Order: sequence, then structure tokens, then C-alpha cells
Amino acid sequence: MTPLSLLLPLYILLPLVALLFYIDPRSIVEHLASPLAMKALWLSLKTTVGATLLCVLLGTPIAFALARSSFRGRELVDTLIDLPVTVPPVVAGVSLLLVFGRRGLLGRYLELAGIEIPFTTMAVVMAQVFMASPFFVKAARAGFEAVDTTLEDVAGTLGASSWRVFWTVTVPLARPALIAGTVLAWARSLSEFGATMMFAGNLPGRTQTLTLAVMSAMEVDLDTAVAISALTLVLALGALLLAKRLAAVAPVGV
Amino acid sequence: MRHRLVRIRTRVVRISLPLIAAICLSAPAHGDTLHVFAAASLTDAFTEVGKAFEAEHPGVNVEYNFAGSQVLRTQIEQGAKADVFASADRVQGDALEAKELLQASRVFTRNSLVVVTPREDSRVKNLADLARPHRKIVIASPTVPAGRYTAQVLRKMTSSGLFGDDYQNRVQANVVSQEPNVRSVLAKVVLGEADAGFVYRTDAQPAQVRVLTIPDQLNVIAEYPIGVVAGSPSPDLAAAFTAFVEGSVGQSILRKYGFTK
Repeated sequence: MTPLSLLLPLYILLPLVALLFYIDPRSIVEHLASPLAMKALWLSLKTTVGATLLCVLLGTPIAFALARSSFRGRELVDTLIDLPVTVPPVVAGVSLLLVFGRRGLLGRYLELAGIEIPFTTMAVVMAQVFMASPFFVKAARAGFEAVDTTLEDVAGTLGASSWRVFWTVTVPLARPALIAGTVLAWARSLSEFGATMMFAGNLPGRTQTLTLAVMSAMEVDLDTAVAISALTLVLALGALLLAKRLAAVAPVGV
Repeated sequence: MRHRLVRIRTRVVRISLPLIAAICLSAPAHGDTLHVFAAASLTDAFTEVGKAFEAEHPGVNVEYNFAGSQVLRTQIEQGAKADVFASADRVQGDALEAKELLQASRVFTRNSLVVVTPREDSRVKNLADLARPHRKIVIASPTVPAGRYTAQVLRKMTSSGLFGDDYQNRVQANVVSQEPNVRSVLAKVVLGEADAGFVYRTDAQPAQVRVLTIPDQLNVIAEYPIGVVAGSPSPDLAAAFTAFVEGSVGQSILRKYGFTK
């Protein structure tokens, strides 16, 4: 290990340390007790849990399909699934507006049905799902691919339906990867900012999540912004450690 | 002490300059760059002012950082490299002056608020409509000057009694987003996502939105101060820029965009 190899880790570490030491921990707690921070924390918890559930619900079938079957357009679907990782979040937000906004592709019909999505908590969740889903799908797919298919086949020859095989053989064997993917998707939802700002706006209690609260607080009181940032950092770090741990205990040979 | 530091710095510059020149050999020769931090509402006018200034000062390059005045103030407080600060209210300028981060700022132009609505299918046809139920209104965050001015205007409108009881609260109930600056308020209205928004008179382009004027007696006068940031690496050039903005060319460009002196 050369000193040069430590440059990048140090570069990532320093801002985090600076954030945590900018104000003392007691004052961090004090600032987090502010209504702005508490409302944002509660909203972030609600929306990220919802978004993560949706990522799992919508992501599992496609992750399984990508891992097991070859179908026409597989490459295309695979690329589409990855796209949110490379698209700038602000662009994602504008695009969501152009689809679900009042004059959007689908939004104009939704409005006729009395459904308006922009500026609602639902819009926050949708922005998060858009940005976070690849993290779940990639992990889940890798987990499914690592499952020994002969075990599934054996269960099948013993008379289990493919549905039953999936739930009693595949999912338990892929569980660590599935949980790791879930945790990563949750963390990405938590850190979502750009798409939310564009698509959902910024209103305390309705669409102002932790990251948006950091921006708003930054304009009045840097200490509150730093306190919320520190909290977000701790949550993200915790999620990453948990995901790593879970991925490490994968029971199937890779 | 300071003197010696300056001398060391000069020597470092003298030694490193040929080096930098060698590295930049392929790059075109460039002169001084002036970093101007300006309120989002000045975006169009200052972009043009900058071009006129560059034309008058060959080799000078004006670079802008447009954002909410409060964000700019925070960035300057945190040591961002800035030469000139132009804010959309006195609060931010005064705060920086109190910390000796800004030198003698002066009010160089004024602005006021209007309500804008989408050009087609508007649900808000007059100021009273803002308080009707089920209207979507976007305002600038109360933390930026435009948001504070919006709150002041709403208070004045309410106490005028012209718009019925509880006008301000009824309007506030329709607010769906507090945007980080006036430009994003405007964007949400142009996109048709919001039924109305409060922006500066100078942001309202008739080609993009319909404009509802707010009567003078209910409006506020936003005062824009400009000053040289303490620690600017080129204070003379920065002062030349502020003088240019206050001079006849700068003022006529500002007037063109709807600002008043």
C-alpha cells in the first residue's frame, strides 16, 4: 500500500470529518430538535420507506427476469434499468414533470381524472423510486444469478410449483443480496435532492425532505444545515455498513 | 507581518508564474477574471452588463455566480472567491458589511413584485383569485429576499381590506412550494405546473407568462445594493465594475430589463 493509494480515501474522509466537527454534538442535537428538521426527518422516513417498498415490489420481477431468462430486448431493458444512475437527478426531475405534470404526456389525462402529482408527497416518492431503483435491481439480480439453479430444479422435480420454488428456495438463498439492495435503495432515496426539487417542490411537511431542508436551512442558519447534514451522513454510513455486512454473509458461492 | 506575507506571496507568484505559463502554453492568453456574485433576479440584466463591461475592458473576463442572495452571502461568509456582491435586499449586504466582508455597498437599482400566471388556461385571473380554494401558488422561500417581499406584499394586501378577511392565510394555504429563488418560481409557472407565482417585475417576460400588476400602494420597493467583497484579489477592477453598473451604460441596461433607479 503506497501513500498515493490513500489520497482518494482521505479526500472522501476529510469533508465528512469537517462536517461532524463543525459544531459540537450537543448543539447538533439541539438544532435537530427544530421544527424544520423534525418535519423533514419524519417526511424523509415516510417517503423513503414507501419508495424502498416500491423499488422492491417493482424491481424484483425484472431483476429475476434479467437473471434467469433471455428475451428480446434484454440488453435494452438492462440499460434502461441502469440509466437513473447516470442521469443527473435534476434532469430526471424535469423529465418526470414533462410526463406527470399538468401538461405532461400522462399528466394531462391524470388531471382530467382529478389526480395531480407535482408538489405532492407522492411526487417525492416517485422521484425517489426513479433514482433509487437501479440500486435494488442490480443487487437483486446479482443475488438471483448466484443462486444455484440445480437446487431450484430439484425442488421443481419434487413437485413444487415455480411460485413456491421462488419463495422457498430462490428468495431465501438470495436474501442477503436482496436485503443489501434494499438498504442501498433506501439510502439513495434518503439522499435524493435534485429530482425532488424539480418535481415535488419544497414545502415543509409535504415535500421538504432532509436534503431539501439542508438547502433551506443553509439560507438562514448554517448550523442547522450542518446538523441535518450530519444526521443524513450518519444514516447513510449506517446503511452502507449494514449493506456490506449483509452482502458478506451471502450463503451461496460466488 | 502582513507586509512580509505579501512579499513572500509576490515572490511565490514570481517564481511560479513562468511555471504556470509553461503549463498553459497551449491555452490562449487571458487577462483578469472578475467573479461577480449576483442575485438570481439580476441574471439577464447583469449578463448584458458584463458583456458591455468586457467590451470596455479588453482582456477582462466577467464570471457570474447567480443564486438566491442568501446563498451567495453564505458562500462569501464561507470564503468563496468573489470580487463583487450584488444582492436583492439590504439585509444580506448589511450582514456582510457588519462582518467586514463587504466594502461600502450602495443601492444601485430598485425592483418590485408582480404576480405571474401561465399564458393559457389560467385559474388565476386577478389578485383576489389567489385566495380561492384549489389554486396552486408557488412563492420564493421566505429565506430569500423575494420570499420576504412576497410576505410583506401579502400583509399589505390583507390590511388594505380590498381582498376580504384573512387574505394572507387563504393565499398561504394555496402555496404548494417555496422555491429557492425567483427563477425557479417563474419556471414552475411557465411550465404550467403552478397557477400563479410571485416574482420580480423584471422576471416577468410577457412572451412567457401573463402579468398581474400589484398596485404601488400595496407593493414593496426592493433595493439592490452592490459592493466590493473584502479580500478581492483585484479590488480596483471590482470597483470599476460597480462604478460601471452605477454609470450610464449599466443603468440604461438595467432600465431596459425593467429595473428603476
